[in-house]
Amino acid sequence: MFYISAASSITHQPTFKNAGFSASLHELTEDSELISPNYKDYIDAALLRRMSKILRMSVACAKTCLEEAEISQPDSIVVGTGLGCLQDTEKFLGTFLTIEGLLPPTSFIQSTHNTIAGQISLSIGNHGYNMTHTQNTLSFEHALIDSMLLLSEDNDHVLVGAADEYIEILDKIQQDLHLPLSGKLSSGASFFMLSKERSANSLAGISAVETIGLVEDIQTEIQRFLTEQNIRSSDLDMVLFPGFELGTSGIILDYFINNEVEIDRIVDYLQFSGIYPTTSAFAMHYAIDRLGQDENLKNILVCNCLNSKNLGLTLIQSLEA
Amino acid sequence: MDQLKEDLKKQIIEQLNLEDIQVSEIADDALLFNDEGLGLDSIDALELIVLLEKFHGIQVTKPEEGKEAFMSINTMADYITRRKAEQAV
Repeated sequence: MFYISAASSITHQPTFKNAGFSASLHELTEDSELISPNYKDYIDAALLRRMSKILRMSVACAKTCLEEAEISQPDSIVVGTGLGCLQDTEKFLGTFLTIEGLLPPTSFIQSTHNTIAGQISLSIGNHGYNMTHTQNTLSFEHALIDSMLLLSEDNDHVLVGAADEYIEILDKIQQDLHLPLSGKLSSGASFFMLSKERSANSLAGISAVETIGLVEDIQTEIQRFLTEQNIRSSDLDMVLFPGFELGTSGIILDYFINNEVEIDRIVDYLQFSGIYPTTSAFAMHYAIDRLGQDENLKNILVCNCLNSKNLGLTLIQSLEA
Repeated sequence: MDQLKEDLKKQIIEQLNLEDIQVSEIADDALLFNDEGLGLDSIDALELIVLLEKFHGIQVTKPEEGKEAFMSINTMADYITRRKAEQAV
């Protein structure tokens, strides 16, 4: 098990610097807005002016994690993002199409996926391993796996997180592609400090993460994962899953209900996060917050089936589990 | 000339996302790349080259000219005026 010594999220919920936020979540509505802090409190003004929404969210969350974990420099910075810096990508492509001659360099520089991890590194002066994972809805899980591998080698602390941002053109793309969505498209960033050793700051433990691409039998994979962790379904105090697509969500619901998990312990986190590729990072923060608020909770499984072809499984446990 | 300087200040604020700076706060002779002036950096220099082409139709083809031209609002306005006069000939 590795230990989570800080967690910070900026989302459409009051998650930022608000321990116990899980008790005050509400279902997202069409008019829900991203709840942003005053970024000037966290980011130097000279850097802030060039940062898009996803960069501001990520750097603020990353810095808050360092502060909460009382760690000035992590050994590594690992980020997962499904769609990367969309705002700058759109801006760059927009000028590319409409302006003849020279193109503004800032939006091009800031449009790449690895700008997020890079800006965090620059903001805190970190020279360690810096990696970005982008594999659609499993980006965060792969960032977690990378982080856990680093901790199992010679790293003591890894700053890991995920972020994605909503831009208006996504609504048009969704309509043009006739994609039925069960909720609101949204933005979110969640970052965590993962540590090899338990400390006074430890909030919870992360025992296992696994991804299964092109999954064929979700129920068999969940059963195998739990067996490998010596956990029975009935030991799960909570299951978090994205209620995105009826077929896959139904399979997951059926499985846990048939395996002695009460329906009120199975929570659709998408209703709280809205839809973006790395919502499982929001789910992890939600799980950590719930563990911190209720000492009876020991084992929480995040079952990420946001894309029905890909399955991500993350087991989060209380420090006493 | 004064109108050109005002326009330049507005264009710089927009192009460089200088969110907290007003036109009235930029002195004509303030050094753009000095911390006591606007504190711009090398990426801003590239943005200023784009700005000159986008708003004034001027291409900075000689790098040594840029160093002189981008010192302050005054030098930028002089550079634009001179280059436009050359283009008109």
